[in-house]
Amino acid sequence: MLIFIIRRLLILMPMLVVISFLVYLGLEFTPGDAVSHMIPPELANTVSAEKLELIRESLGLNKSFIHRYWVWLTHAVTGDFGHSLSGGVAISEIVLDRLPATLELSAAALLISTILGCLLGTYSALNRGKWSDSGLTVVGMLGVSIPEFFFGLVAILIFSLKLGWLPVGGRLMPGFDSWFDHLPNIILPSLVLSLMMTAGVMRYSRSSMLDALNRDFIKTARSKGLPEWRINFLHGFRVALTPVIVIIGFRLPTLIGGSVIIEEVFQWPGVGAEFIEAVRGQDYPLVMMIALFSVFAMLLASLIVDVLTALIDPRVRMGSE
Amino acid sequence: MKKTILGIAMAAAMQFSTSDVLADANQLSDVRVRQAIAYAIDMDTIAETLLEGKAIAADSMIPNGAFKAAELNAYKYDPDKARALLKDADWDKSQVLDVVYYYGDQLTADLMVAIQAYLSDVGIEMTYRKLEGDVGEQLNVLPEPNSDTSAIKWDIAYGAKAALALQEYYNGYRSNTNSYTPANADIDNLIDGINASADAETQIAAFAEFQKYENEALSDIPLYYQQLFIYESDRLNRNGGLYGNAQFNYNWGIVDWTVEPDANGKKVAYTNTAPSQFFQHPLLNPGLYIYSKVVFDRLLAVDGSLVPTSGQLAESYDVAADGMSVTFNIKDGVTWHDGAPLTGEDVAWSIGATLKVPAISAVLSNTFNSIEGAEAFVAGSADSMSGVTVDGNSVSIKFAKLDPNFMLSFGQFAILPKHLLSDNNPLEFQQHPFWQNPIGSGPFKIAEVQMNDFVRFVPFENYHGGVAKIDEIVAFPSGDNDVNVLKNAGAKRLDFGFTKSVADVKGLEDMGHMRVIPADIPYTRSLRVNKFANKP
Repeated sequence: MLIFIIRRLLILMPMLVVISFLVYLGLEFTPGDAVSHMIPPELANTVSAEKLELIRESLGLNKSFIHRYWVWLTHAVTGDFGHSLSGGVAISEIVLDRLPATLELSAAALLISTILGCLLGTYSALNRGKWSDSGLTVVGMLGVSIPEFFFGLVAILIFSLKLGWLPVGGRLMPGFDSWFDHLPNIILPSLVLSLMMTAGVMRYSRSSMLDALNRDFIKTARSKGLPEWRINFLHGFRVALTPVIVIIGFRLPTLIGGSVIIEEVFQWPGVGAEFIEAVRGQDYPLVMMIALFSVFAMLLASLIVDVLTALIDPRVRMGSE
Repeated sequence: MKKTILGIAMAAAMQFSTSDVLADANQLSDVRVRQAIAYAIDMDTIAETLLEGKAIAADSMIPNGAFKAAELNAYKYDPDKARALLKDADWDKSQVLDVVYYYGDQLTADLMVAIQAYLSDVGIEMTYRKLEGDVGEQLNVLPEPNSDTSAIKWDIAYGAKAALALQEYYNGYRSNTNSYTPANADIDNLIDGINASADAETQIAAFAEFQKYENEALSDIPLYYQQLFIYESDRLNRNGGLYGNAQFNYNWGIVDWTVEPDANGKKVAYTNTAPSQFFQHPLLNPGLYIYSKVVFDRLLAVDGSLVPTSGQLAESYDVAADGMSVTFNIKDGVTWHDGAPLTGEDVAWSIGATLKVPAISAVLSNTFNSIEGAEAFVAGSADSMSGVTVDGNSVSIKFAKLDPNFMLSFGQFAILPKHLLSDNNPLEFQQHPFWQNPIGSGPFKIAEVQMNDFVRFVPFENYHGGVAKIDEIVAFPSGDNDVNVLKNAGAKRLDFGFTKSVADVKGLEDMGHMRVIPADIPYTRSLRVNKFANKP
């Protein structure tokens, strides 16, 4: 397994280079550049083309695409991700500043959705055909199909504006001294974000559990007279967990990439909101850094899923094993 | 031989492609068509319905007030007249106008639908599209000098003109500097007229002449005057402080504002427009954001209409009778928030540094480029401007040419600390670390920056104009158009600010604890019409 992991990690590097090139190329095809974003359209006719060109030259934007990409890549491999074109702040500083916000929001949502989704999905499968199963299926469908921003706005309206129980948004406020001070701020965004994720995990674990419960080994266990809880949770649930782990694993990258919509609705200063702003402003060093982080997380998640699947299900073998 | 023929053919093709032969005749160059468009659109109804009564139909680019000319044709809705004008102009009904805009809001999209319907009713078909990417380039690309073929491809562009000085409405029409108006000596003369004097009466007469000309020619078809809406909570009391054009700096008396204390007895006022990544320097938008207003000081204080009324940093000032020089005497003992003294050297340095920053407010640019020696200083052939001299706390400025708005400029221009910014690269001025936590000399200083979360301002204890009564201002991040206004106001964490969003105004008015005060500002929405004889 160790060889498999090392091999996969080695493949990661060229994949990251190729993906970084494609992202950079995509940005190149986007109309405008960072300088055109800096000047509002109303004021654009007050700045001469020569002056705009001088700014481009100063920021290195007048060089060819390949030249700029090469400079970015050679700096990036040494750990220098450059500076934001709009504000001059080191990219690493911006990302490290935003990452804790995204990590805590996404981790909370992932944890809540995983636990709730697995429990409700299993419960639903074990009560197949009953009203509780039907009810949960409807709730699951609603959770998957109603957009996050709608849930977010409704939650703000009810819990913040009408009842006044929780803040409308934001992460930090003056006077917050410890992490626990902003716990009330994370409740609504994490619950709303987890709602949709819970629905997905619930539906997935329900069908997976139903599939497992129809397998021959469950019938064998039952014929042996094992207690029902043991059949369901030790035999059935363990097997049902494998596909569920895949879906949860592939959600790990949201820990890095953040949830753009939830961050916008709840004024949460995370990576997702920053990414949107960077794309709008054509701030390519920042876009590249966040995109690469997300891609890296996705590739890493894929590896983790493979390893976990093998650990849970001994029938799965790694590579040439 | 084949190569020669091919060469001739290619040369001919290239010549053909760069000539005006391929250009299309542009019927919008006919003033009757432009007037027909103006008559075809019922702006009164649009203002009353789509804009919910929160806008005023415009009959000129110049807003209502002392500078508005009398007896202008308002082009009241008259579709029959529009049709008659189009018939006279032999309007080709088969053509479809390409209308562009650059705002991303729903209101603009709705307005496009309305204009499309109105124009269709009189026989003008149009499509509309939002410009993406380099919007400035697409709007402003200039043709060859004195060409009668535009370089822009669009027919009409919907947009806004926000003027700090009224000349900004028309200065942009000068020959060979405007993407949609061909070179025109009459217009150049009119532009010279409105810039020829700093005397108000002379200016009013010159503006009246220009407006009458434009009222007929319709370089821009004025649509409506957008209002600005100042909102504040019932916790806040301005104690007589002025309301005015909140997009810029004016003497709003914030030092005397009071706010009801919170449960801990602290007097905290909440607002928006804190930065998300960096504090935008105040040379492009001098007073758009809360930090530009409270952290920096200006030489002059202005009233709500941006008319200079007294000195701010300047104890006194002396303007020459011909308007060609001014001397400012800085107050004694004024310091920066870090304790360093603010001197005439800071003022002189700030003017020079501003001149070298590429993108600055047009009004500041006009003023500083009019100073004697500015050209040589910008070109690098002189280390300083010969027209700026410092003698202790006294700064004298001599102009090489008259700038009618120099007093306005010094009422908006933020004096910057030389000792913290002298190592800047003008081309990357915004990227200087100073703009992560700026230091000024204004009534509030920055106490805490949690970038993208909040910024905390506290009163500057040595402020020359007295110490502010509010204990703290907390600003949450947003642009000047804050999408979270209603949410934050509803949650009582927004005590003051301004908006131009009609939808937000309606929402704020429905909240019992918020009040909204409309302010007339020079902000005119119009249709820019491509008037070149030909289009590419």
